[in-house]
Amino acid sequence: MPINQSCEDNTLSDPSKSDLEALQQRIDAQREARRAKTQDEPRSAWSLGMRYGSEFFAGVFVGSALGFIVDLVAGSGPWGLVIGTMLGFVSGTLNVVRAAKEINSEAGGES
Amino acid sequence: MADTNPIKQFEVHEVFQFEAFGLNLAFTNSSFFMVLTTLMTIVLFTVAMGSRATVPNRAQSVAEIIYGFVADMLRSTAGSDALRFFPFVFTLFIFILVANMLGMFPYFPAPGWHSFTITSHIIVTAALAMMVWLTVLVYGLFKNGPKFFKLFVPSGVPMYILPFVTLIEIISFISRPISHSVRLFANMLAGHILLKVFAGFIVMLAGALGAAGYLVGILPFAMTLALTALEFLVAFLQAYVFAILTCIYLSDALHPGH
Repeated sequence: MPINQSCEDNTLSDPSKSDLEALQQRIDAQREARRAKTQDEPRSAWSLGMRYGSEFFAGVFVGSALGFIVDLVAGSGPWGLVIGTMLGFVSGTLNVVRAAKEINSEAGGES
Repeated sequence: MADTNPIKQFEVHEVFQFEAFGLNLAFTNSSFFMVLTTLMTIVLFTVAMGSRATVPNRAQSVAEIIYGFVADMLRSTAGSDALRFFPFVFTLFIFILVANMLGMFPYFPAPGWHSFTITSHIIVTAALAMMVWLTVLVYGLFKNGPKFFKLFVPSGVPMYILPFVTLIEIISFISRPISHSVRLFANMLAGHILLKVFAGFIVMLAGALGAAGYLVGILPFAMTLALTALEFLVAFLQAYVFAILTCIYLSDALHPGH
């Protein structure tokens, strides 16, 4: 009885194996499609704008804060604040460019 | 007439007093929601993973999907060796996600009978962002030693411009926890205010116009409904964005200089 059953299993397992493989392929394709979709989905314009805005704001804020601290410590008049704010603008722009690069590479699927 | 103040939802009340070393460490409704978030996560995951079945039931597959989602995110943005930070990133993601979702309840059996979004207070998000930033700094220095500072000195830059570029890179690095925390906080704050403003219009219209006000109030009600759906999306999205940025920053700690 057991031999018989295993024989039957063997004859059954061949077509079912290819079936399983086909199923696995279908699942993988579905999974890829879903992954692509979910990667696209979490990008509302609102959150994108918020992202860029906060990146830029943070750069300017930190730059001017550092300049202000330098002024306080060194007593160098308004120059630390002026230069710090300008550097802050530059690094804020850098932040925005980096964020844009990240978002583009995520959306395009290539790095 | 009901209270239509849109920022009343962000009030912090003390539930019971507690003072130590001259500091006011009272247990507030904010603390209540933090504890609730943690407990809910623990209980939900314990129950969901309780059976540990090979073929998962619904609850278990939800838990497994969340686990796989965070693991995929970490692996694709920071590489396989970043998986040692998986517990950290997973905890952050789940904490923010559950806290944001709890904040979506208009009424809640909590102190003050209103829900409270802990991520709408910048002190909470700043603490979370500083935790990430300090982890990157300490682990990066510990693992790479002085090579970590390559992060601030990009290669292939002419000598005469290098100090300038390094200064900008340092400012950019320091600005990370600020943009990281401001984004989450501002999204939650703005969204919840918007929601309450539109909901307040209904009450104001009904108070001012009577029966006609209820009829016209359908318009702001439709808006509130749509915004609620949007807020659910934002609640998930911001937890996702916070976690993915954590991954990107951790990747800098693991591989400075790219």
